[in-house]
Amino acid sequence: MARLSHLLNLLTGPEDIGRSRWFWTGFVAVCVLLFVYPLWLSEFEATNIAYYLLNVPIALGLGLLWGYCGVLSFGQVAYFGIAGYLYGIVAGNMIGDAVGPIVGSLCGLAVCAVVAAIFGYFVFYGRVQSWIVPILTLVLTLLLETFLGQTAGYQWRVGSVQLGGYNGMTGIPAFQLGDYVVAGYGFYYYVLIVVVVTYLSLRLLVNSRHGKVMLAIREDAIRAELLGYDIRARQLVVFVVAAILAGVSGLLYVQWGNYITPSQVGLLQASLPVIWVAVGGRESLLAVLLSTWALNWLNYTLSSEGYRYALIITGVLLVAVMVFFPSGIVVALARELPKRGLRALLGEREGEAK
Amino acid sequence: MNEAILRTEGLAKRFDGVVATSDVSISVLRGELRCIIGPNGAGKSTLFSLLCGIYRPDAGSVFLKGEDVTRLPAFRRVRRGLGLTFQTNRVFHRLSVRQNLSAVLQIDRADRPADAEGRYRFALERFGLDPDSEMPAKELPHHRLQWLEIAMVLAAGPDIVLLDEPTAGMSTDETLQTGAVLKHLNASGLTIVVVEHDVAFVRDVAQRVTVLHQGRVFAEGTVDEITEHADVRRIYLGKV
Repeated sequence: MARLSHLLNLLTGPEDIGRSRWFWTGFVAVCVLLFVYPLWLSEFEATNIAYYLLNVPIALGLGLLWGYCGVLSFGQVAYFGIAGYLYGIVAGNMIGDAVGPIVGSLCGLAVCAVVAAIFGYFVFYGRVQSWIVPILTLVLTLLLETFLGQTAGYQWRVGSVQLGGYNGMTGIPAFQLGDYVVAGYGFYYYVLIVVVVTYLSLRLLVNSRHGKVMLAIREDAIRAELLGYDIRARQLVVFVVAAILAGVSGLLYVQWGNYITPSQVGLLQASLPVIWVAVGGRESLLAVLLSTWALNWLNYTLSSEGYRYALIITGVLLVAVMVFFPSGIVVALARELPKRGLRALLGEREGEAK
Repeated sequence: MNEAILRTEGLAKRFDGVVATSDVSISVLRGELRCIIGPNGAGKSTLFSLLCGIYRPDAGSVFLKGEDVTRLPAFRRVRRGLGLTFQTNRVFHRLSVRQNLSAVLQIDRADRPADAEGRYRFALERFGLDPDSEMPAKELPHHRLQWLEIAMVLAAGPDIVLLDEPTAGMSTDETLQTGAVLKHLNASGLTIVVVEHDVAFVRDVAQRVTVLHQGRVFAEGTVDEITEHADVRRIYLGKV
């Protein structure tokens, strides 16, 4: 019981917006709504919703790394790609074996963690200056794209799976639990659960002891070190966590579309998570969650009108938000709305204080 | 009481050929309240950075409680009981007072001095800082920012603190208040080393004074010895 109430305290801790009873009531209501929503949806529509939710983990990971720990990575999609390709290779070679997708997922995430740990070790223990980190991370993902792009030949085959060069890897198996293949409505619930669990876990993390130190490191790393913290180790841990979350999105992506191409780790894709996070507000997990969802929905909807058009709108949105709401649009709204009486409307605290 | 808690031997540091400190050997006893004075460019802040591990010396060694810590990164020295405030105040300005203080309180140091908690509470109370305040630190008045930084360093539970110009920019009243708190903390057993320009403050708090000049220890003694010291008067009046 004591542990449960400790967890609840952490969950509603002060390091994210949305802490009132009203917020949590709304949060639960939205979750319930999302769980019953498919009753009104076709399987196709449910899968579409799952598609624009599946990028939430990579965005939350970047929000944690950049917004809470002060390390901007421009190459989170590298881990997205590593997990996706590895899943494709492992699960693709184990077709017919019910545990293939689970083994493939674990392999993908494990390799993400190892690559991030090695890369992060050199970056953080080498005390690379913080403005160089985005460039280094971007270089890693572009190297990966270049490498994958030249894997078109028949010799680039792992077991029975072709890497496929710029045409990509196809026929990647869906996720599977025992004999149950996770697709359609099942996939929708699977993504929904992953997203909710990720969000709540990260809220626990940022309100934990480690979270409070993360904020200090973000603000002034030298000062934090001179309060006794090994900032290298702390940044490395967060970097690995963010990489694993990027990997989770990569897994969901290949399990959704059953293919992946090198452009998923290219420059354009690399910039998208940064945009999702910046537009919502990188210093709030909730803001990142909402803006990732909204921008993926927007992109998906606009895409049917013409892909270039969609990107231009996303770009304009980024510029507009950075000019008018540098801390992010969701964060700005969350700060401004209560002042304009919404708090009174919701009856949060103010009534009690008087 | 006469064990050296902090000791240096022949510390030297140069930046692009400019000598910041050369051959600094000092010894601070446990329980002392030491002031380090010297003209601008004497190497005071460089010395602090060498002591806490922000810089590695080109030559010489630093000993903390008898242990050679010259090669240890800053955070390991802090875990062994060293605390430092910066010349330009470096609290986490965008974070609230609560976040600033709670960021420090996440450390579990096995050898925290018994009265660390008491010192921290005392500083909070005397400095009038509310550890639950959600006010962003940057909205605090200047002197409170400096007090907050001292409180943060105390929260880590140090045995010795290095304060780089803790009263810079403070009014006379605030300076006196700061001095009173430091003297009380020192009386409770905390070793304090202060870099200061304010002669009145040094007279108020110091037991011993070290004078740095051109990167070397120029003189050392009690406050009276130093203020009577003809050569010290000369360098402060700029007639070297």
